[in-house]
Amino acid sequence: MDDNKNKECTVQFEPSGIKVKVPSGTTLLEAAHRAGIYLSSICGGDGYCGKCKVIINEGRSQSRPSPLLTPEEIRGNIVLACQTKVLSDLTVTVPKSHSLDTSQVLMDADTHILSRLNKQTQEGLFEYDPLVRKLCVEMSPPTVLDHTADHERLYAAIRRQIDAPIMQTGFRVLQKLTNVLREANYKAAVTIGQRGGTTEVIQVEPGRRCKTNYAVAVDLGTTTVVAHLIDLTTAKTIDAESTYNSQMNFGEDYIRRIIYAEQTDAFDQLQECLVDDVNDLIMTMAVRQKVDLEDITAVICAGNTAMVHFLLNLDPTRIRREPYVASVGFVPPIRAAETGVQINKRGLLYCLPSVAAYIGSDIVAGVLTTRIYTKEKLSIFVDIGTNGEIVLGNEDWLVCSSSSAGPAFEGSGIKCGMRAGAGAIESLNIVNGDEIRFKTIGGGHPIGICGSGLLDTLSELFVNDIIDRTGHLKANGDSRLTEGEDGLQFQLVEPRNGHQEIAITQADINNLIRSKAGVFAAIRILMNSTQTKLEDIDAIYIAGGFGNFLNVQRAVTIGMLPDVPRTKLQFVGNTSIAGAKTSLCSQKALETAERIAESMTYFDLMGNPDYMDEFIKAKFLPHTDLSLFPSERNLKPQA
Amino acid sequence: MQLPEIEEIFTGSVNRVELGATRDSGGTRDSTATVGGARNVIYGGSAEQMGEKPLIAMDVLDYNPEYWPEHLAEHYRDVFKNSSDWAKKCVNEFGADLICLKFEGIHPDKANKNASDAVKVTTEVLKAVGVPLVLWGCGNDEKDNQVMPKVSEATKNENCLIGTVKEDNYKALTAVALADNHNLITEAPLDINIGKQVNILVSDMGFPLERIVTFQDTGALGYGMEYSYSIQERQRLAALGGDKMMSMPVICDVGYESWRAKEAKLADAPGWGDVKDRGPIWEAATAICLLQAGTDIIRMRHPKAVATVKNFINQIW
Repeated sequence: MDDNKNKECTVQFEPSGIKVKVPSGTTLLEAAHRAGIYLSSICGGDGYCGKCKVIINEGRSQSRPSPLLTPEEIRGNIVLACQTKVLSDLTVTVPKSHSLDTSQVLMDADTHILSRLNKQTQEGLFEYDPLVRKLCVEMSPPTVLDHTADHERLYAAIRRQIDAPIMQTGFRVLQKLTNVLREANYKAAVTIGQRGGTTEVIQVEPGRRCKTNYAVAVDLGTTTVVAHLIDLTTAKTIDAESTYNSQMNFGEDYIRRIIYAEQTDAFDQLQECLVDDVNDLIMTMAVRQKVDLEDITAVICAGNTAMVHFLLNLDPTRIRREPYVASVGFVPPIRAAETGVQINKRGLLYCLPSVAAYIGSDIVAGVLTTRIYTKEKLSIFVDIGTNGEIVLGNEDWLVCSSSSAGPAFEGSGIKCGMRAGAGAIESLNIVNGDEIRFKTIGGGHPIGICGSGLLDTLSELFVNDIIDRTGHLKANGDSRLTEGEDGLQFQLVEPRNGHQEIAITQADINNLIRSKAGVFAAIRILMNSTQTKLEDIDAIYIAGGFGNFLNVQRAVTIGMLPDVPRTKLQFVGNTSIAGAKTSLCSQKALETAERIAESMTYFDLMGNPDYMDEFIKAKFLPHTDLSLFPSERNLKPQA
Repeated sequence: MQLPEIEEIFTGSVNRVELGATRDSGGTRDSTATVGGARNVIYGGSAEQMGEKPLIAMDVLDYNPEYWPEHLAEHYRDVFKNSSDWAKKCVNEFGADLICLKFEGIHPDKANKNASDAVKVTTEVLKAVGVPLVLWGCGNDEKDNQVMPKVSEATKNENCLIGTVKEDNYKALTAVALADNHNLITEAPLDINIGKQVNILVSDMGFPLERIVTFQDTGALGYGMEYSYSIQERQRLAALGGDKMMSMPVICDVGYESWRAKEAKLADAPGWGDVKDRGPIWEAATAICLLQAGTDIIRMRHPKAVATVKNFINQIW
């Protein structure tokens, strides 16, 4: 046995064919992680979520027995990667449900939603005034009569073009300045970036490079990282790409990741994961669009507070401990290279400001994008992610809170749940009270259900009387209602052609109801605290990782959102990246984001004595107080 | 200076629920009883707004409860073996308004009696007394779902108060109670919201709200009574505010809960006073306190406590 201990084994992952060498005894989850292969794991390797199933094709391994595997699965050599140790060279197949082929889908859809929103809210609102720009600067060469030094000559020339009262130049730029100016015959391309009130000369190049200037906007999600490549000369998004956050291997929610980092002192490792993800996205887009990384001069990030901390390697541990305080809310612009993000060496990295430990800059971006801070009437902004963040307010005030809604509506912790990717059921209807019709992303055979599909499922089961108001599946003799391995379940799609059945379990339904109750309770607390009445609400914007398309009315049917007329509801997709992009293209927008972050009042729900009461009231379909949902009566005939 | 009369006026009221059916209405009861009807809080308004007098339902069990403390058991030892004699004693000697037949004996961990035992006891008690009956399951969902429908059927048209139904087990009993013309007890675990949710679920099945009595787990003096008090007070205020899903009369299980308290039964505690008095005082104190929060039916056990509480009710209502 001792021989085996230090033996190196090669693990090959199919279908990608990626190989990795690991010491004997390493878990398959760890091996997959080292190989850079994503395996879904909610529990972070504790062996209780059952998501990291893989198939052993060849080689010796040792698995701890798990009740999460059926006898058929065990016969089929399916194991839980986190509970399986590598004993020899191995070949392992990663089932398709883990795979990452979602980016295209997400991108198309987000672009679509964003452009719709842009028309309504963004166009012409903020003047074009990007954080980083290139100026073509032409100076008259020095003469005996004009012996101004090169540096001051440059400043004067810049100030002829823009208003820049305070300027600074980096030492390295200064060292090369004289030569560059002379070689370029005093026609230079000057990259300048805004650092607060100061204008920094980031780079001076020969004049011919004036026309090319790019930047990247990034949404740092707990689950997904999305990036847009933006041509700063036109303020247009020219490409977009998304990937799973590879920190997922350390736990699906960020609290778990913080705990992991603390226990194993892995802060650097977690930062590396995130930076690698960002770099991969930037590289993919740059190659596709034939953009030189040197021409990308800025990155702007929005994301929850913990993700921003991870990216900058700031201490995130206080976020999860009372009194829940972040290290930093307003991050000053820094050199992107200092974090390891690979763009122009002297390019800047901006982070949108956050409000509190549990209200990140993604929410500030959402407020900026939906413009609720400019309206006389009240609006609600809801972002459903791993947490459900709510903002209520108008031009005079903004209040916000965060409820730990859980990631159910992202498809996490749901038996057949998945993220919005190819094969996910994105919409579902029950026709004539019986027949189930659905649409999958990409149109293929369904392999799971994403957030929008789950919302549809819950709503349709309720409207069609398959579940009661507590969410209990009704024993009404329907053959689709069976006792599955995870308890009572309702079959949505029959198994066919080797595809497994798709079903929703009683536990899934309870999970979704808890999630929606958390969101609605938070909305109620904010409304009650500000004495806001339902009729005062002029608009509700819902953002989040549901998928491409969301039947918003159904969020009202199940009682996740207040019962306002359909015309007041709008699904706005990923507002985090939209807000980041707007801020990148306009200094005014970034200043506005800072003002928004400063002016938002955070309501802590954990310390609110009414929260539990509101939560239990909301844990009912649509709500214990039926008078709050008058339109629901029309949807569902009273018995 | 004369103090002005200040009276708070509410728009809603507690539902009136009639229990029991006489021969004229298809049952066999000598008399019926009505609870509810309050249009104000206790002491809050005129005598007319007080509604019906609260009723005392005395517990009769379907088996011999050997665990009962001596000073409670001594009043029933002669009738423990015969539930119908027990019920008669409660009505004739102790003045019970209602008999609560508690099917503790069907519980799998207790005597594990079956449905035919329960039906036999029910028909005997029905014959023995003329007051309306409360029929109360053992709390084990599976067993209750087996037995209570049979009990319901055996008392069809007697307009009993049958229960309990809970958030996750309400369908079976609600359906039979509806079919057999009984009133229903909805139960919640000291949670006003869940209480309301069970009422909505039951009414979604077509059960009339006017035939529901609600039950929240009762806490005895020193054992969470203040929780029961505040929940019942909130429910009363909700009813007075016009919330139809919260306008039901309330039932409390004071007897069982009070006699679980060690203060009620511990004999070897000289500093606490005579155990003979302590138990009934504990039960009566709990009952009287909860009556003031707005309880309509009280389940009780000790005859002395019953007498005290009756005295209180007669003075106030």
